[in-house]
Amino acid sequence: MSAAHDLVVVGAGPAGAAAALAAADAGLDVLVVDEQRAAGGQILRTTPPEFGGRRKLPTGYPWAGELLDRARSHPGIAWRHGATVFGILPVTADASSAGGADASAGPGSADGADASAGPASAGFDVLTSDPADPAGSGRVRARRVLIASGAYDMPVAIPGWTLPGVMMAGAVQGFLKSQRLRVADRVVLAGSHPLLLIVADQLLAAGARIEEVAIARGIPSPVELLRALPAVPGHVRLLGELAGCVLRLLRAGVRISTGTVPTEVLGDGRVQGVRLARADRGWRQTGPARTVEADALVLGYGFHPSTELARQLGCALDWDSAQGGWIVRHDAQLETTVPGVHVAGEPSGVAGAEQSRAEGELAGLTIAAALGRPVPERALAGARRRIRSASRFSGVVQRMFAPRREALLELATPATEICRCETVTRSTIDGFLDENPFAGTADAVKLACRSGMGPCQGRYCESAVAGLVAKARGTGVGEAGRFAAHIPVKPVPLQAYVALADDPAEVP
Amino acid sequence: MPDAEATSGRAARLPSERGEPAEITVDGRPVGCFAGETVATAMLAAGVPAFSHRNGEPRIPLCNMGTCFECGVTVDGVPLTRACLTTVRDGMRVETSER
Amino acid sequence: MSERYDSIVVGGGLLGAALAWMLAREGARVALLERDQLNQHASGQNAGSLHFQLEYRMVEHGWESARTAAEAMPLHLEAAREWAALGDELGESLGVAQQGGFMLAETAEQVEVLRRKTALEQEWGLDVRLLDGDEARRLAPYLSDSVLAAAFCPLEGKADTRIAGPALARGALRLGAEVRTRTEVVDLVPAGSGWAVHAVERSEAGERRLRLEADTVMLAAGVWTTRLGQLLDVSLPTIPLALMMSVSAPTAPFVPHLVQHAGTKLSLKQTGNGTVLIGGGWPARLPLAADGTPDLDSRPTLLQSSLVGNAAAAIGVVPRTASLPIVRSWVGTTTVTPDQLPLVGQVPGRPGVFVATGGSAFTLGPSFARSLIALADGRPPGIDLHPYDPARFERLSHARR
Ligand SMILES: Cc1cc2nc3c(=O)[nH]c(=O)nc-3n(C[C@H](O)[C@H](O)[C@H](O)COP(=O)(O)OP(=O)(O)OC[C@H]3O[C@@H](n4cnc5c(N)ncnc54)[C@H](O)[C@@H]3O)c2cc1C
Ligand SMILES: Cc1cc2nc3c(=O)[nH]c(=O)nc-3n(C[C@H](O)[C@H](O)[C@H](O)COP(=O)(O)OP(=O)(O)OC[C@H]3O[C@@H](n4cnc5c(N)ncnc54)[C@H](O)[C@@H]3O)c2cc1C
Ligand code: FES
Repeated sequence: MSAAHDLVVVGAGPAGAAAALAAADAGLDVLVVDEQRAAGGQILRTTPPEFGGRRKLPTGYPWAGELLDRARSHPGIAWRHGATVFGILPVTADASSAGGADASAGPGSADGADASAGPASAGFDVLTSDPADPAGSGRVRARRVLIASGAYDMPVAIPGWTLPGVMMAGAVQGFLKSQRLRVADRVVLAGSHPLLLIVADQLLAAGARIEEVAIARGIPSPVELLRALPAVPGHVRLLGELAGCVLRLLRAGVRISTGTVPTEVLGDGRVQGVRLARADRGWRQTGPARTVEADALVLGYGFHPSTELARQLGCALDWDSAQGGWIVRHDAQLETTVPGVHVAGEPSGVAGAEQSRAEGELAGLTIAAALGRPVPERALAGARRRIRSASRFSGVVQRMFAPRREALLELATPATEICRCETVTRSTIDGFLDENPFAGTADAVKLACRSGMGPCQGRYCESAVAGLVAKARGTGVGEAGRFAAHIPVKPVPLQAYVALADDPAEVP
Repeated sequence: MPDAEATSGRAARLPSERGEPAEITVDGRPVGCFAGETVATAMLAAGVPAFSHRNGEPRIPLCNMGTCFECGVTVDGVPLTRACLTTVRDGMRVETSER
Repeated sequence: MSERYDSIVVGGGLLGAALAWMLAREGARVALLERDQLNQHASGQNAGSLHFQLEYRMVEHGWESARTAAEAMPLHLEAAREWAALGDELGESLGVAQQGGFMLAETAEQVEVLRRKTALEQEWGLDVRLLDGDEARRLAPYLSDSVLAAAFCPLEGKADTRIAGPALARGALRLGAEVRTRTEVVDLVPAGSGWAVHAVERSEAGERRLRLEADTVMLAAGVWTTRLGQLLDVSLPTIPLALMMSVSAPTAPFVPHLVQHAGTKLSLKQTGNGTVLIGGGWPARLPLAADGTPDLDSRPTLLQSSLVGNAAAAIGVVPRTASLPIVRSWVGTTTVTPDQLPLVGQVPGRPGVFVATGGSAFTLGPSFARSLIALADGRPPGIDLHPYDPARFERLSHARR
C-alpha cells in the first residue's frame, strides 16, 4: 500500500475536479479516483483520445476547459481512472493489528468488542477495484475523503421499461457525446427535466427522428416565470441554450406535448412503440392512451444523487424530494456527520454543474484549512458566494421541475417490474405488504422480496419500493426509509477482496 | 444533417474521427469496432440484441454511467463487467450472460 | 387499562417468531413485541447454515472446549428433525435444503482435528463420516485439490434466512397472534401471578406507552438478552460478536452442500436463488459506548483483514469463487456465552419468565422454542436442558458480588 494521501476524492466531475484543484493549490497531496476513463464527470464527457480530434466541451460552462486542464496538470494531484471505489473503511489506531475483535471468543475471552470507537482520526482506507488493471485494485490510505460521486438519472418504473431500447436521458447523451453513437433511429422522449429537451435536440442533430417529446408538466404559469426571473442573471446562457433547443425542435416539426406521461412500452424483445396519455397538473393520467411507434424510449425525470458511499460509511441522510431524494447531511463546511468525510456536488442535493463546481471548491479549501494549510478568507468567501449565486438558479429549477413521485409511482401496474435486477413486480411487493402488516420499511421489503438485492444495489428500485411502503402504510417516504448500503457499493469479484492485503504474503 | 452508418431501428455510429479498427468476439462471433470505443458501443452498433437475460428477458444498457449493471457481460472470464465502462481491446472475449 | 395475554414474546427474530407460532398453535393468546422490524437483526443477517458438526470456533481452542461445546449436540440432533418438518407443519416454505455438509481439512494437522472431532460427534449419535480428498471431490467436484480430507454430515444444509422468520410470524398471525413492530419493551414487573410488560410504540406521530400483562414472558432478544436481564435485575451474561457475511450475484447452481473448514473460519453455500453465501465468523469491529461496553445499537465496521481472510479461505477450497461478483458484505451481531453453551430455560428467580439465546441460534431456534414452551407448560422437555440452565451464571455472578 502506498503512503497516505491528504485527500482522496471520489469522482472527477465538476465537484471533484474543483475540490482537487483547490486543495492541491493550498498544498495538499490529492488523489482523484473515477471509474470513467477521463476527468469531467457526467456533464463534461468527451470523446476518448483514440478518436483524435479536438475536445468538445458543452457550451454554457466557460470555466470547464480551464478547470480540467489545470487540475490534470497539477503536480499535487494524482489520478486513478477506470477504478471503482467500492468501499471506504475508517482506520482506527489499532487497525494494523490483524483481526481486531476476537470472533472466536473462546472460553475465558471476556469480550468480543474492540476498544476503538470514536472519531476516525487515523483516516480512511479507500478500497478500489479495476478489472482491466489489477494494479489499480487495492486500498489507498487517506487522511480525509471527499465524496463527489455525482448523480444518476431518476428511474421511473413503467410497464415494459425493461425492454431493450428504454434508456435514460443521461445514457443517450453519454453515447452521443463520448462515443458518437446514436442509440436509435425513431425516438420518443418522456420526462420532466430540462435535460430531456437538450437530449432531444442533440438526437435530432444526430439524425434521429424524434417521434414525440412528452413532458409531464404543463407550460410554466406566468407566476412561476416571474418567480424564476431573479434567479436568471448569470445563467442567461443556460436558459438561452434551452430556448434554442425548443426552437430547433419545433422548427423541425417535432411534436412537444405537455401534460403527457408514458403509460406503457410496447414491443417483443425490443421497444416497438410507446403508449402516451394526457395527465393532469399532478401528473396523473386523465385520458386514454395512444400509441406512438418508436425504437427507443428515453426517460428524463431528473436525477438521484449517488449516495452509496456516504451510506456505507454511516453518514446521516435526509429525504428531500425536490433535491433528488436522499441527500447527504452536511454542515456549512460540507463535512458530513462522519468526521473527516466531506461531500460536494450532487450528493449534497442535486443542483447542477455550476453549484457542484462551487461546492467542490469550498470543500477543497475547507479540507485544506482543516489539515492546517493556510487558506485565505477571501478564497473561502468567494466560493461561498458562488454557491449562493448558483443555488438561486438551481432552487428555481428544482421547484419548477420537482418530480411528482406519487403520480409517477402509479404508472407501475401490478405486473410492472419494480426491481429490474431481481425481476420483482409491483404485485409481489404490494402482496407482501398486504400479508405482513407488521412490515413498514423499505429494508424490510428488500429482505423479504429481494427487491434491491441485485447488482444495482437498489439504486433503481429504492424510491419505488419506499413509495409503495409509504402508500400502503399511509406514511411519508422518509419514514419508509431507505436501503442500507454495504461494501462493495458496486459489485466486485471476490478476488478483489484478496487484493486488499498489505502484501500477498499476508493472505492466509 | 450527418448521415448515420446504419438505419432500421438499431444504434448507429455517427460520422466522426475514430480510433484504429479493432475486433472483439461476442459469444464467439467477431464484432468489428474501433479503438477508444466501449464494449457497450461496439455491441450496440453491431446490433447485439441482448447483453444479458434476466428470467429469460433480454437486457441492454440503461444508464451508460456505471450505476445500473444492466450492461454486465463476462469480459475475458470476469463476469458482471460493465460494458459501458470497459474500453475495447483487440482480441477481447465478451460473453453475454444468462441470469 | 392493560391488555392481557397468555404469553408475550419479546423480540421478532427467528426465535421470537417460532415461539409465537408454536404458542399460537397450542391455542395461547400471544403478543410478539419487536422494537424494530421483524427479522432485521441476527436472524435476517446470518448465514442460514443448519450445522450440526462442531464449528471451527469450537475446535480451534483445543480439545477441552470442543468437548464442552459437544454437550449441545442433543439440541442439534433435535434441530435437525425440527427443520426437516417445520415447513410442512407451517404450510409455507422456509427454503430448507438438507443436502449434506462438509468440514474440510487442508493440512495433516486439520485432518487430525477432523478425525477426533468426528469420533466425538459419533459418540453423541451424529451421522457423520470421514472422507479422503478424492472421495470428497467425487461428491463435490467444485472442491480444490488442496482438500486432503472432509467430514461429511448428510443432515446438514441450509434454510432461507430472509423468509424463515417472517413466514413463522405470518403463521402466528393466521392463528390469531398479535405482532407489533416498532414496539420496544422497556420494563418487566411482576403483576399478580404473571408479569406486566411496559413497552413504547414508536411512529411518525410520536411515542405511545403500552402496558400489557401476561402469564409468561419469553425473552427472544438475541444479543440484547443481557440488557433485558438487567430490567429483571438478573445476570444473563452474553458476549456479542460482530461477524461478516458476503453474498455473490446469482450464478448457475454448482454447490449443493454446506461447506465449512476445520482450520479457518469459513462457511459457504449456494442459496435457492443461485447466490453464493460466504461467511464463517470473520470479525467486524463493534463500536464501544461511552462507558466502554459494546454499543449494540450502532453499526459495526468491516475489517480489511476479514475481507481478505474470508475471500482467501473461500477461494482456497472452492477456486471458482474467485471471479464471482460479490454484491454485498454485511455485518450481523450474534451472541455467544462465556462457556459456548446456549442459555435455555427459566430466568433464575423469575418464575414465568423464560429465555433462550447463544450459539448457532438460527439452527437451534426451533428447538429452543419447543423446549421453552414445554418448560413453561410444566411438561418435561424432549431433552435434558440442565447443561444450558441460565442459573449456572447466576451462581457465578453472586459469587463475584
Ligand atoms: C447526462 C447528464 C447530463 C447533465 N446535464 C446537465 C446540464 O446540462 N446542466 C447541469 O447543470 N447539470 C447537468 N447534469 C447534472 C450533473 O450531474 C451535474 O451537473 C454535474 O455533472 C455534477 O457534477 P458532479 O461533479 O457533482 O458529478 P458528476 O459529474 O456526475 O461526476 C461524478 C463522477 O463520480 C464518479 N463516480 C461515482 N461513484 C464512483 C465510485 N464509486 N468510484 C469511482 N468513481 C465514481 C462517476 O464516474 C462520475 O464521473 C447532467 C447529468 C447527466 C447525467
Ligand atoms: C453473520 C452471522 C452469521 C451467522 N450464521 C449462523 C448460521 O449459519 N447458523 C446458525 O445457526 N446461526 C448463525 N448465526 C447466529 C444466529 O443468527 C443467531 O443466533 C440467531 O439468529 C438469533 O436469533 P434470535 O431470534 O434469538 O435473535 P435476533 O434475530 O437478534 O432477534 C432479536 C430481536 O429482539 C429485538 N429486541 C431486542 N430488545 C428488544 C426489546 N427490548 N423490545 C423488543 N424487541 C427487542 C431485536 O430488535 C431483534 O429483532 C449467525 C449470526 C451472525 C451474526
Ligand atoms: S449501462 Fe448501466 S452500468 Fe452500464
